[in-house]
Amino acid sequence: MFCSECGANNADTAAVCAQCGRNLQAVTPATPLQPTPLQATGVVLAPVAAVQNYLVFAILSTVFCCLPTGIPAIIYAAQVNAKLQAGDVSGAQVASRNAKMWCLISLGLGLGLMALYAILIMVGVLSGIHQNR
Amino acid sequence: MLEIGKNRLLTAMFAAFVAGTVILRLFDPATSGIFPPCPVHYLTGWYCPGCGSLRAIHQLLHGHLWAAWALNPLTVVLLPFLTWGLASFALFEIRGQGLPKPFLRAEWIRALGAAIILFGIVRNLPLHPFDLLAPGAMLGL
Repeated sequence: MFCSECGANNADTAAVCAQCGRNLQAVTPATPLQPTPLQATGVVLAPVAAVQNYLVFAILSTVFCCLPTGIPAIIYAAQVNAKLQAGDVSGAQVASRNAKMWCLISLGLGLGLMALYAILIMVGVLSGIHQNR
Repeated sequence: MLEIGKNRLLTAMFAAFVAGTVILRLFDPATSGIFPPCPVHYLTGWYCPGCGSLRAIHQLLHGHLWAAWALNPLTVVLLPFLTWGLASFALFEIRGQGLPKPFLRAEWIRALGAAIILFGIVRNLPLHPFDLLAPGAMLGL
């Protein structure tokens, strides 16, 4: 299948163009499967390419918080796009949920560590005051 | 209900972003004790890929590009893209359409992940050109 936007050659099942990211499935007419002509006009297809890969949050998790939980998020973010390239939209959605989960784990871990640090600081400050007396 | 919850989360994230920027501008993580240390460096003594990133952003917020580069070149390179991505995410949540973004092939994302890990390994090596990648080494810190 050739992309209507940039002309790149893609696999026939590809959901998005590997070259420019254009949604290839929305271009294919959806009418043959729908027998009711009333719905044929104005049908808005769900944007297939809009499967979030959470890459920005995966990188933020890796670099600013927690390397061990950020790396799985990056791996799943890559998997989202790999599945989209192969035309496996439901697989991409599963990978997307996993990417989101690892980002949230990182966020929770980061907030937990910050809270722990704050508690340690306060305990340290309080014991410091105690010692000064 | 769902919309309200979503808006609250967005508002909280935006508030955290603004507060973080202001705090990072006012306090230097190199000298101030209010920032938690990197857990990886604290536990293992090794620099992680993000070590020095908060100090680097502090320097960037004061316009010191070279100091930021010396503290964490990876952060300086990634920050424009991360900012663009965050802005796109926020706009997508608000108006349903993000900023124009290229579709990254899976191979490129994996290469980026590998590059981040490689950077984390290389900046710990005690060999001369590589030891400059440790936080602040280029400044002689």
